[in-house]
Amino acid sequence: MHSGAMSTSDPSNHVSGRPDPSAAPGDAGAAGAPAGSQRKRLRWAVPGVAAAAVAAAFVVPSALSSTAADDVPPLTADELVARMTSTEPVPISGTVVYTARLGLPDVTVGGMTGAGPLDLLGGSSTVRVWSDGAERSRAALLGDVSEYSVVKDGAEAWTYSSADDEAVHYTVPADRLAEYEDLAEGRAPEVQGDVPTPTEAADLMLTYARTTTDITVLEPTEVAGRSAYQLELDPQTDGTLVDRALVAVDAETAVPLRVQVWSTQDASAPAMEVGFTDVSFDAPDDSVFDFTPPAGAEVRDVEVPLPEPSELGPKDDSTADAADHGVSVAGTGWETVVELTGVDVAQVLGATAAGELPDVPGESGAEDLMNEFTEGGEGEIPGIPELDTTALYDQLTTEVDGGRVLSSALLSVLVTDDGTVYAGAVPTSTLTELAAG
Amino acid sequence: MSLADQPADRTGARLAPPAAATGTPSGPAELPTRRGATARLLRSELGLVLGRRRNQVLLAGLAAVPLLMGIVLFVTQDTPVAGQGPAFFDRVTGNGLFLVFTSLFVCLPFLLPLTIGIASGDAVAGEAAAGTLRYLLVTPVPRTRLLVAKALGALVFAACAVLAIAVMGLAVGAALFGLDDVTLLSGDTIPLAEGALRALGVVAYVALSLTGLVAVGLFFSTLTEVPVAAMAATVVVAIVSGVLDALPQLSAIHPGLLTHHWLDFGEFLRLQVDAGVLLEGLAVQAAWVVVFGALAWSRFTTADISS
Repeated sequence: MHSGAMSTSDPSNHVSGRPDPSAAPGDAGAAGAPAGSQRKRLRWAVPGVAAAAVAAAFVVPSALSSTAADDVPPLTADELVARMTSTEPVPISGTVVYTARLGLPDVTVGGMTGAGPLDLLGGSSTVRVWSDGAERSRAALLGDVSEYSVVKDGAEAWTYSSADDEAVHYTVPADRLAEYEDLAEGRAPEVQGDVPTPTEAADLMLTYARTTTDITVLEPTEVAGRSAYQLELDPQTDGTLVDRALVAVDAETAVPLRVQVWSTQDASAPAMEVGFTDVSFDAPDDSVFDFTPPAGAEVRDVEVPLPEPSELGPKDDSTADAADHGVSVAGTGWETVVELTGVDVAQVLGATAAGELPDVPGESGAEDLMNEFTEGGEGEIPGIPELDTTALYDQLTTEVDGGRVLSSALLSVLVTDDGTVYAGAVPTSTLTELAAG
Repeated sequence: MSLADQPADRTGARLAPPAAATGTPSGPAELPTRRGATARLLRSELGLVLGRRRNQVLLAGLAAVPLLMGIVLFVTQDTPVAGQGPAFFDRVTGNGLFLVFTSLFVCLPFLLPLTIGIASGDAVAGEAAAGTLRYLLVTPVPRTRLLVAKALGALVFAACAVLAIAVMGLAVGAALFGLDDVTLLSGDTIPLAEGALRALGVVAYVALSLTGLVAVGLFFSTLTEVPVAAMAATVVVAIVSGVLDALPQLSAIHPGLLTHHWLDFGEFLRLQVDAGVLLEGLAVQAAWVVVFGALAWSRFTTADISS
């Protein structure tokens, strides 16, 4: 800086009081001499080598772990499906990555709201799952320092969101527990905003696939470090948005490890993919399935609706029963369209929006202040990205003749102005035709 | 120059070892003396980093964050705006331990990188700007060890920065709101003792998460004689990394970004802590340390240093 080209490479330049050159800095004497410049160049090779070593350290383990999956005995499609449906569920735990490319507008508020079911509309989400193979399970949707959990234990279920510290408790009335268990065959009640798992997705796919589907077995693959059979489901009809689906089934336990669904609109990448990245078949610790809402959390109780005893009737007549509830089904298999009549959209949205408002502790003064805020700000506290369900609805759906349509790569929903909802894995034109009668 | 707060006798203190070395008559004594020189260098480096007024003010500033947040929360706890804010903010009033997590969460994106940038960017460039670097190089300590001493100084300061936030957060949280059993992100509650252990884990993880940025800052510091340039470049790296991390189009490179795994400290607050997630974050930091540490070493051991 001050002394220009003068260099400390020759220590005797500066330090007059030190005649002993052996005490000179060993590493510092590089500059100048030809041998030194070569050493310099060698030294600059070190970062290159370091970078290469680091890259290798990250790439090689994943390459090594992809063991050949060709040592599994061959199975026909029928045998494989039979094995899947007959195998008793086993305890399972692991990490699931769910990726959706549904072509929906991005509605997440940049990670400000924390993990929640809305994350599932697009992008990648990581879910941790635990199941004891029977009636207890837990799934946790992970976000940055936030989590959304769904805990199911027999006829009881909890959802808990860390972002708004709210727990929802789903129960069946005690006097109808036996009846419920009879009906549900050990399944937990449906919760609002459930988290997907490969098992559930595979069940859904196989339900669809019972009719009009070409089922073939592809080359075995590898999922989460385990050998897996691959089942391809190819709908025979053109009337559905589903182009094809791949289900990877663990060769040893016949548990579905991954489900990929391609849409007819995009052949390049699956529109929906849910699969384990890490899986273990050891029974999870029992404490995982115990859930007690934390002190101070807002707890909401929801009673699971059960059909009236008079409506139960013979099970195969389910469509007729369902019609009494305003639900009917058109089409079969992949082209199934569910029709719901008498839905008051405004009321549904309003109820949800009200549920989203933060609870006000005690004082009436605070409540007044709160009302002042909420009246002026359309149910929002200024500066806080509160989820506005009406805006969300407007954002996700588009106006069509006679209603609003939500159109995605795999699912279409039509809400008509007279309050009928049509939904199915079919093109929107099918829905509008159906609505027009 | 601007380093008025630097101890006046510093250069003299550092030049002492060679004098001692020459004073020792026989050869065998040379090795221990050299080791002594390194130890002295390290001690003087730590004394410099921690004794510098500017760095003390930085630490005090960081410690003010939990204090400020604690007071704000204490004052507003019964009003409608209570509970609105960054992660864990709404939990603090029930359990003071959460003030540690909230403060770290708030400081991670900018304040901590700024602090790290100042400490590591100044490490070598600051000496060069003050004209003291060439005197350091004549001590009987190889440049490699000198660089290691500089790196350790910056790392210790980074750890102190995290600790300042955590300790102050704990003290203020405990004093204003008391400590209680810890509610995890999953909604489960664990005893306070286990919660405190997990808080220790969070602090350790956050401190280790900053090592990559220290290495980057140290490299920039060897490139220039203008400390401010190295500091600014280091902060810019952290911010650009955060911006890239927010672009979904670049999801392929996200796992390797310097800042991508910073918020994984939340793993300590999940039902079952997955060591794999934590190790991945630490492995990425280690990778940055190796690459930028090597770059800094190549630069520092080959550069002509004239000031």
